[in-house]
Amino acid sequence: MKSALMKFLWWFEHRLELRKTIWPVMRHPIPRDLRTQVGWLYVFGSTAMTLFVLQIITGIGLGMVYVPSAGEAYESLEHINYEVELGWMLRAIHNWSANGMVVLVVVHMTQVFLMGAYKYPRELTWIIGVLLLLLTVGMAFTGQVLRWDADSYWGLGVGVAMIGRIPWIGPQLVELLMGGPTMGADTLSRFFALHVFIIPGILFVALGIHLYLVVRKGISEPPVPSEPVDPATYVEKYEEKLKTGDPFFPDVFLRDAVFIGLTLLVVVGLSAILGPKGPSAPPDPTLMQVEPLPDWYFLPLFAVLALSPPSLETAIILIAPVIIVAALFLVPIFSGKGQRSPRRRPVAVLAVILFLLCYCVLWQLGVQEPWSPHMSAWSGEPVPESMIKGRSPKQLQGAAILQEKTCRNCHALDGRGGQRGPDLTDVATRLTRDQLVRQVIQGGGNMPAYGKEMNRDEVDALVSFLETLKPDGYAAAESSVVTDRSD
Amino acid sequence: MTQRHAIAIDTDNSPPRTARRLRWYVLLPLCCVGCLDSLPGKPTEADRYRRPDTIMDFATLYKQHCSGCHGADGTLGPAPPLNDSMFLTIISDAEIKQVLDHGRAGTPMPAMNQKQGGPLTDQQIEALIAGIREKWGAKSSATSESLPKYAVSVHANGQPVGDPIAGKQTFADSCASCHGEEGRGDHALNDRGFLGTISNQALRRIIITGRPDLGMPNYQEAGEESGAGKPLSSEDIDDLVALLSSWRSAETDESK
Amino acid sequence: MNTASDDQQANPNATTRRTFMEWCSWLILGVGSVATAIPILGFFLGPVIKPKSDEWVDFGPLDEFPEQMTRLVDVLNPLRGPNDGMTGKTAAYVRRIEGEKFQIFSPHCTHLGCPVSWFQESGLYMCPCHGGVYYEDGAHASGPPPRGLYEFKYRIDQGRLMVLLGHLPTLQDPGSAESTGKTA
Repeated sequence: MKSALMKFLWWFEHRLELRKTIWPVMRHPIPRDLRTQVGWLYVFGSTAMTLFVLQIITGIGLGMVYVPSAGEAYESLEHINYEVELGWMLRAIHNWSANGMVVLVVVHMTQVFLMGAYKYPRELTWIIGVLLLLLTVGMAFTGQVLRWDADSYWGLGVGVAMIGRIPWIGPQLVELLMGGPTMGADTLSRFFALHVFIIPGILFVALGIHLYLVVRKGISEPPVPSEPVDPATYVEKYEEKLKTGDPFFPDVFLRDAVFIGLTLLVVVGLSAILGPKGPSAPPDPTLMQVEPLPDWYFLPLFAVLALSPPSLETAIILIAPVIIVAALFLVPIFSGKGQRSPRRRPVAVLAVILFLLCYCVLWQLGVQEPWSPHMSAWSGEPVPESMIKGRSPKQLQGAAILQEKTCRNCHALDGRGGQRGPDLTDVATRLTRDQLVRQVIQGGGNMPAYGKEMNRDEVDALVSFLETLKPDGYAAAESSVVTDRSD
Repeated sequence: MTQRHAIAIDTDNSPPRTARRLRWYVLLPLCCVGCLDSLPGKPTEADRYRRPDTIMDFATLYKQHCSGCHGADGTLGPAPPLNDSMFLTIISDAEIKQVLDHGRAGTPMPAMNQKQGGPLTDQQIEALIAGIREKWGAKSSATSESLPKYAVSVHANGQPVGDPIAGKQTFADSCASCHGEEGRGDHALNDRGFLGTISNQALRRIIITGRPDLGMPNYQEAGEESGAGKPLSSEDIDDLVALLSSWRSAETDESK
Repeated sequence: MNTASDDQQANPNATTRRTFMEWCSWLILGVGSVATAIPILGFFLGPVIKPKSDEWVDFGPLDEFPEQMTRLVDVLNPLRGPNDGMTGKTAAYVRRIEGEKFQIFSPHCTHLGCPVSWFQESGLYMCPCHGGVYYEDGAHASGPPPRGLYEFKYRIDQGRLMVLLGHLPTLQDPGSAESTGKTA
């Protein structure tokens, strides 16, 4: 039996000759230095690739049940979530694996950057890697669009509006992107083609080149401060190292196997516990009660768009991405040799720390989105009872007016309500009556003017209530001499 | 993997045992697939998005659209409490619907019906009325005949029925202890900021029901604690509203 | 190759003919490719080559719009396709100032296109994304938007409000009330 099986397999081997082609590649030598703990830093790329394969498998599954039509996509997502056997699980795995892929690609890049692995002779590997990062982000965005719900619909609208700002050709690009004058069936189909055919196709080719380069140029050895890269001697030295190297398969691959296995467990675990994402509200252009949010990786961008000064905004939207991407592409061109060790490259380490800090801070802001009004706070966040008890009839009317005039959408009381304007819980310790009246009527400092919307009595009642908002034992605000005189 | 293992056994062992094992190898994964339905990540009907205009649950509707002014539990908000059995006894469903649909002119109460620019559908407004009744008070009934009627009576010119001169006396007897002489005390009423932002109908309602949540007595308690020693009559209330209304116009005249 | 260079030396005329044939081969390949590429490129650039113009949409009789009030009106987008489903709908805020004076606003925030909500009570439009706020007349009140709300052209036709709309307004291609090229 056994010999029969072997005969069968040999029949194929005689024709395929894999032992002469693939097998040497699988066995390509890896420097011995990876035997130490540092070898664990070399597992991220292969894991990201594994998740890409997982994306393809789950993506094919979803492709069998998803309907890429603007009129039916939302219903088909609900169908997958609630009716298709394990459809929810497949959506969940596709989502969490996508998140994992974005994370791992960035971690892999950071590791390569910090260890100087992008330097001679692996510059092109890095450049293709940057392309792979962009394609991964492209997959993430187009995937978000295919989750045809309100977040996705309006998120796409934001993308369209950004492109609409490009001088001269903006409107034409918008129509090209949407496939017509509105966001509808032609738009979704376009993004379906991008997500399923175009970007994965390019990704495949780029990944092939990336892998080819990794095997041809070899895995970079862990950096040693005393051995800077000199293109004249590097290859010779590296070849010397390889003579004592370990074969990639199965020896070195075992670490990858462990990390890939653990990552898959995390992805499946998250999917099982947290489930799929969305769909949230339907993509109905007439449904205004939505608060669109992008997927987490785009939250820092969301924050930048809210916080950048209007005069610079178009420039930031259009020029900053070009600069960042160009910088990434050009890194190995400008620092393609010399020191590799992070211990001797403080600027590189600082750059990574700075990037992570910016990203995390902006992300945190994106999560809180203090700039967004809380649309239902005015009618849905009660006035704290302590601010009601013992107040005069006029002050009570003022509190009701505070709610009715939607002040709470931007101003919190006791921390509840919008965060866009200052919390009013102790506003009376900061502003005098005159200042309050002026602020309400004229607005200013990013607050709309309410002069046209409120009559004298309403302002009077409102300000009387605001004047009571101070902690016990605190003095009310007093106007400075200068303000007094100007009054 | 499993399959290969099973085949290996097949060659070594007696057929029945193998078949049993084989069955296990097939059934075990299937059992696992069955278990997957009980995982916490599986979306349930509760996770399904519901359009805001299809929400009919009173608790949710009240929380989203009313609690801001009327308080989390219908009391202790800046606006008069809805969780008030006397109020719910004197007001009819039609009157509540009128207020919800169109808001209350001259007060901060906004129109809630979509047809008037509000957020709610007719059905949702019906659901709110039914919920208020169910949670906080029975239907207005014949027993309410002993209570003053809810609606404020007005002359053809819109002025409230009632005598402000007589109202002055009633005010001094029943209200001035808290609201001050001529309504200019600590809890002043004779003030544009108050009278200019509240309607005569709302004034009448608060005089009748008081604000039990804030310690203001209702028409019975207020009358009994006063010199008269008996509940305020419907005419007394008319007079008080007329008085407050006259203060409002006087203030407006002054400002002109 | 070898024969080609041999021919060249032996017979210049033959070379010319050979070169000519070579050129013809390339030319045929080129013409064929271009002939195929033109319709394909045309397809991909279709939305730009033949853009659709906005159309007049019936918003209903005038008495549905009380004076001094702003209402959200849902209509079917005249430029919708057969498979657009709910995305083939569109909405506009109709503000009737008085008589036949209206303002019709797109609900798309001029900052980055999110849907703004109208608050009758405070006379403000608020955007949920980045906090743009507009006044009742569409003017910018606060937040990042670079301008006021996009407006659509309207006319009164036999007691009905007609509005010119269709395409998604963006900064350089705003609503019909201000765009120059794209009117019906």
